[in-house]
Amino acid sequence: MASTVAKIGERYAILALWGVMIAVYSVLEPSTFDTGGTVQTIFGSQAALVFLSMAFLCTVIVGEFVDLSVASILGLCATIVPVLNVLHHVNVVVASLVAVAIGVGAGAVNGLLVVYAGVNTIVVTLGMFSLLSGIALAIAHLSAVSGLSASFGQIALANVWGLPISFYYGIALTLAFAYVLAFTPLGRHMQFVGANREVSRLAGVRVQRIRFGAFVAAGALCGIGGVVVSAGLGGFDPSTSVTYLLPTVSAVFLGTAVVRPGRFNPIGTLIGLYFLATGILGLEELGLAGWISDVFYGAALIVAVTVTTLLRKRISA
Amino acid sequence: MFHCPEPMGGDTTTAAQGILRLGGSSRRPRLELSHLSKSFRASRALVDVSLAVAPGEVHGLVGENGSGKSTLVKVLSGYHAPDRGASLLIDGQPLELPVRPAAMGRFGLSVVHQDLGLIDAFSVVENMRVGLFGVRRFTRAIRWRQERELARASLAALGAQIDPDAPVAGLSAAERAEVAIARALQHHEHGRGLVMFDESTRALPLQPRRHFYSLLRDIARRGGSVLLVTHQLEEVLEHTDRVTVLRDGRVAGGGVDADGITEHDLIRLMLGRELPRRSKRPDRAVRPARPAAEIRGLRGRLVTDANLSVGAGEVVGLTGLLGSGFEELPYLIAGARPASAGTVSVAGAAFDLRSASVRELLKAGIALVPERRDTEGLALSESMIDNVTLPRVRSRGRTMHIGRAWREREAASVIRELAVHPADPHMPVGQLSGGNQQKVLVGKWLCGYSKLLVLHEPTQGVDVGARQVLEAAISAAAQRGAAVLVAGLDAGELARLCDRVLLMCDGHIDRELTAPLSPELIIEAVYRDRRKARAS
Repeated sequence: MASTVAKIGERYAILALWGVMIAVYSVLEPSTFDTGGTVQTIFGSQAALVFLSMAFLCTVIVGEFVDLSVASILGLCATIVPVLNVLHHVNVVVASLVAVAIGVGAGAVNGLLVVYAGVNTIVVTLGMFSLLSGIALAIAHLSAVSGLSASFGQIALANVWGLPISFYYGIALTLAFAYVLAFTPLGRHMQFVGANREVSRLAGVRVQRIRFGAFVAAGALCGIGGVVVSAGLGGFDPSTSVTYLLPTVSAVFLGTAVVRPGRFNPIGTLIGLYFLATGILGLEELGLAGWISDVFYGAALIVAVTVTTLLRKRISA
Repeated sequence: MFHCPEPMGGDTTTAAQGILRLGGSSRRPRLELSHLSKSFRASRALVDVSLAVAPGEVHGLVGENGSGKSTLVKVLSGYHAPDRGASLLIDGQPLELPVRPAAMGRFGLSVVHQDLGLIDAFSVVENMRVGLFGVRRFTRAIRWRQERELARASLAALGAQIDPDAPVAGLSAAERAEVAIARALQHHEHGRGLVMFDESTRALPLQPRRHFYSLLRDIARRGGSVLLVTHQLEEVLEHTDRVTVLRDGRVAGGGVDADGITEHDLIRLMLGRELPRRSKRPDRAVRPARPAAEIRGLRGRLVTDANLSVGAGEVVGLTGLLGSGFEELPYLIAGARPASAGTVSVAGAAFDLRSASVRELLKAGIALVPERRDTEGLALSESMIDNVTLPRVRSRGRTMHIGRAWREREAASVIRELAVHPADPHMPVGQLSGGNQQKVLVGKWLCGYSKLLVLHEPTQGVDVGARQVLEAAISAAAQRGAAVLVAGLDAGELARLCDRVLLMCDGHIDRELTAPLSPELIIEAVYRDRRKARAS
């Protein structure tokens, strides 16, 4: 009994910490933090990070450490939509489809190089990160592109029970991903490929195909995420895509401390993401703007990866 | 308590001569190891082992696989730290445990490890001289010409003609062994020190082996000592002065005079004195007329040409010396490693083993229980139920839902039939003991009703109780109609489990041993055949 309590306590410690953080901020800044606007900001403005962290999860679950290119794939896709639609007058639906296709293509290039050519994941995706960021800047002529129609913006901003619809996309995506991992043969194969490739191969799992598929799925999610983000913002500034990377990686690693300790999991990742968003918003409202997000996300990443490492050691001891 | 080789009347062994020549002070042993134990977590690899090697002696160390020979060498070479309480004297001087590399050099200890320890990407001279390079005075550049000459000279002393600039990756197995041996011997100063060889002659053909033996004699004649760890009993009988036999981590015979002992005596010491246990399996009528699985013309890295068939309900053993190919065959049959030629047919379907994938062969009913549990057998971070059911989640589960009942049934049946403890299907496999992990690994493949079940060392590193459970489960699989092939070195296990045993030698199946089988019969056949092969 006591051990069950301890287990539950350990699994959801981060939720308690979240509660404490909210309480502290509410006391410190009752006028700004303790309002409905805060809830809207925390839950309503994270769509890009939700798509990114789920994309990142795809590859990290099958054992790829780590795909650094997700943020710039999303950035490129989010730039393509306004560039095609606003600058080149392409139909917005076509522009969106092109963006998703580019996302899939970028994921496939990652997959070909990492899985079939055997190049190191970090090297390939670091290169892709820089390459795609540069291309995004080039097609946008080094500046933000805006001017997407408000009706197109509704696919991200439509108000549903007080929150933008993109929030619910994130919830649905997370739950679907969690379902695949927990309840389908595909999810089981993904987890085993991540845990031990050779064991999986000898059990008849098509290891290479699953690894390649993970990169392609990550690219697709970045593509869709890019479309949603550009719709929500009415355009995109390609120079901001780099800022999405660290929160994504931090959230995914922080997620291993929740729900299924020591394992990468979608629901934990989502909780980690909102936890970080709360932390950063509170600090910004305290007046520590600008530099604070770099410090906070950097520290969070180190703490999160350390927690993951320690928890994983315990599982396979 | 040590049987030091005091020169006895009329007994003029080489060891005794060595001692006499070196005078009174070297009557103390070159190496004197006492009360050495080594535990790995719960299992004890060595228990209170003592060993004495005299100056000028070639000392043999034998024992079955897993008896602790290599662990002993690894303690002596500083790779493993022993448990507390051991002491080591070299020429009467205490050598601190765990042994440090620098101290090894000072005391004149050198070693050739089982895996030789060569780096493929580098050349022969680089491998031999790394750590010893002489440099030019001002530029600090390596004097390559001189290094090459030194390497060439060390190789020549062994009778080997190998280009010092050749990359090690391109050498044959025999040449690699020669390089490793030459590298160890270049440290050797005449009249002192001890050179340890851990199965170093395994890959050497007859001619270089003769050179090697004469070199050993030469070392001993000049007052150096040699510890020769080997599987080959006739090598021990012909080329050592005394022998120490290990069994289950303990000394079963310490410093036995090699002249006064026969091969049969050695085998008795290696296996223990209990009478051979007969097969406990109920006698089956006759060999099935039609084989359930047939392997033709199989060729791989070690296997040169193997043909065999296994009947439904039959358990066939596969053994030989390491390097003979028996350890490769299971992986070729299951498609885990690509074969360079050969086919397997199961239940009427034939597969080309050059191209067949694990997946195809699995579908056809061929299951493999690999030897390396942690890297090929189980994902240690995942739960027992997930590990057990992994091969069947696609075939038994629905695409959108993996299902629950069948998985719980499979896990429960593994826990029940193999007595897995603790009986918690959701515990990560890595938290189970080694014996229980092995049960999960075998259970994972027994659930699948395979037509051909191929196992490599299925009871490695488990205690007696777990071994019985595993052997019973394997027998039961055969009785349910599977064709079973067990590859391994454990003669006792093969004798208990198998209907017949195939003996591999130099990559092909050399002989078939049929009932009644006994561990002695199998071990004798393995070593005899080696002798026959070398004579021819």
